[in-house]
Amino acid sequence: MKQFFAQRPLLRIAWVHLFSKKRQTIVAMLGVMFGVTVFIFQAGLLTGLQTYFIEKTVNTTAHLHIFNDVRTSRPQVLDLNSDTSSTWNVVRNQKPRDEERRLRNGYQILRDIERDPRVEGVAPYLGLQGILRYGMSQQAATLAGVEILREDQLFHIKDNLVSGQLQRMETLPNGIILGFGLADKLGVRLDDNITVISSKGVALEMKVVGISKTGITLQDNTRAYVSIRNAQRLLQQSAAYITDINVRLRDVDIAQSVATEYSSLYRYKAEDWKAANANIFGIFRIQNLTVSFVIISILVVSGFGIFNILMTIIYEKMPDIAILKAMGYRDGDIRVIFLIESIAIGSTGGLLGLLLGFIASKIVGMIPLNIQGFVSVQYLIINFNPLFYLAAFCFALTATTVAGYFPARKAARFDPVEIIRSR
Amino acid sequence: MSTKSIIQASHVTKTFTEPVEFKVLNDISLDVERGEFVVLVGPSGSGKTTLMYTLSTLDTVYDGSITIDGVDIKSLTKNALADFRNSMIGFVFQFHYLLPDFTVLQNVMLPAQRKGGLTQDEMEDRAMKTLALLGVADQAMKRSSKLSGGQQQRVAIARALINDPKIIFGDEPTGNLDTKNTSMVLDILNDLKTEYHQTILMVTHDVEFAKRADRVISIRDGRIVDTEEHYSPIPAVRP
Ligand SMILES: Nc1ncnc2c1ncn2[C@@H]1O[C@H](COP(=O)(O)OP(=O)(O)OP(=O)(O)O)[C@@H](O)[C@H]1O
Ligand SMILES: [Mg+2]
Repeated sequence: MKQFFAQRPLLRIAWVHLFSKKRQTIVAMLGVMFGVTVFIFQAGLLTGLQTYFIEKTVNTTAHLHIFNDVRTSRPQVLDLNSDTSSTWNVVRNQKPRDEERRLRNGYQILRDIERDPRVEGVAPYLGLQGILRYGMSQQAATLAGVEILREDQLFHIKDNLVSGQLQRMETLPNGIILGFGLADKLGVRLDDNITVISSKGVALEMKVVGISKTGITLQDNTRAYVSIRNAQRLLQQSAAYITDINVRLRDVDIAQSVATEYSSLYRYKAEDWKAANANIFGIFRIQNLTVSFVIISILVVSGFGIFNILMTIIYEKMPDIAILKAMGYRDGDIRVIFLIESIAIGSTGGLLGLLLGFIASKIVGMIPLNIQGFVSVQYLIINFNPLFYLAAFCFALTATTVAGYFPARKAARFDPVEIIRSR
Repeated sequence: MSTKSIIQASHVTKTFTEPVEFKVLNDISLDVERGEFVVLVGPSGSGKTTLMYTLSTLDTVYDGSITIDGVDIKSLTKNALADFRNSMIGFVFQFHYLLPDFTVLQNVMLPAQRKGGLTQDEMEDRAMKTLALLGVADQAMKRSSKLSGGQQQRVAIARALINDPKIIFGDEPTGNLDTKNTSMVLDILNDLKTEYHQTILMVTHDVEFAKRADRVISIRDGRIVDTEEHYSPIPAVRP
């Protein structure tokens, strides 16, 4: 230490200055530390949850979803054929046509898409609402009519099974896979038989061959998988009847452009996963913005702390600055002294902040929470992306250097004549 | 340009505009020879300090020209001027301006560290020798704030000498000292002149000081009134 300083008078001066103002220096450091800690913790927590959610979403919603965008309120036939500006038409009880939900040539489109080299997997889907009954308990459910192996290729259903086997959906003619929450509410367990009743009044006896848990609460509480054939039977439809096609791409990032391409090609609505979850991403953006604001404000405040302490030092050490200049130290040397001081505060505070942020994240990540909300998680998922640590540190260092620059420049511009004269 | 002169000032005029326009230096021309001990005297407010600042390159805002060791001061950039001062000029002010949290040795080494070119050991060696010359070598490891006023001023002189400057400038260096310390500092400066042929330019009110000088320059109202003649310490009425 002694030797190190011996050859670096500017460093020694900076060190002496900070040391002579221990309390203020520590307060300024704590300010930076606090800012960086909040940065690390908030960013880790927020993006951890968001990444978790996006992962889940990418795994449980298709990259592309092709469906018939049914307008439930059709334009009135009468309105189309007469001038509404002078007359007033009333036709009551015009009902949406049921048939419109189906994808004509659904299977042909499916085979077509399957040949697209960008596509990893395609799965047909027939969705319907139904009532599940088990003894006296009954629950409304969203029934997904699927070809289970194709569906698995797209959504990795197997990974989410907490009990049961996927293959039994193929081997048994009436297998059903229930969401975890749904099974729980019905009180059924694996291999129990339940009754499924559709809105058409069709009732089927089905056997629970699997229970799945995705972590997305809404899905786990309402979703059940049946074979597409059974779904068609529940809707009293023929074997070609499907309402949706889900597509998994090799590269998820091209989803949007492929979606536009398919919708013009097949004349059905093709929606990519981001559009399907647009509202969630909107919320994410607002969250990120809010947190950025908080972090920036804290760092600005800590910047003021550094500005303040440097200004105090500079005015106190004016005679020192004057004599250094008289003995031939350059303006740049003086500037360096005070920049060293602010960088020392910034980097020490920053490093402490990184450490504290890491520890805080680790501790919070270990507390079992069992949140049942938006998504269900046992522990808070925290992102330990090293980029955050780098960004937080750079940010802190930039803020402190900027805060230190102005006092440093001021000190460098002091006129030694004026200072020595006023003594 | 005579090689004998180390400082040549010609027609130096300086005007303050604040608070009122006021010619503090009025057409001053003077030469200082190598190894000469020159003393600037004059009543309070006559412009001695101001002249010292301009001659020593600290103040560069004036009309006229000043040449030191053949270098036109106004032609130097800010950094070049700092480097020039570092190697050519030593200062002793009325106040010592030692860095209080530094040891005596560290203080004395500061100009040498800026200059560079020596190893750490060589610098320390030289600093110790200079301190010894001034009789304060035993204080080297003390913090400068712990020294007596006289000791501090001697350390300040050591600091001014460390880079072997061509000229020492002083502004009432004994102004804050008692008679005993004053005569000690005077002896030291005298030795520097007689034994080391150090060029010295001092502002002073001290008659003793003026007596030992090679030349006394009297300033009144920003003009040199009569060189050579000894100064009488009766304050003149301010203009
Ligand atoms: N920055 C300034 N602005 C305006 N006037 C100044 C400034 N600096 C000095 N003066 C004036 O210039 C005059 C000369 O000042 P200077 O300090 O050179 O006098 P001096 O001869 O050293 O006096 P003393 O013996 O009291 O130290 C004084 O009247 C002073 O008030
Ligand atoms: Mg003066």
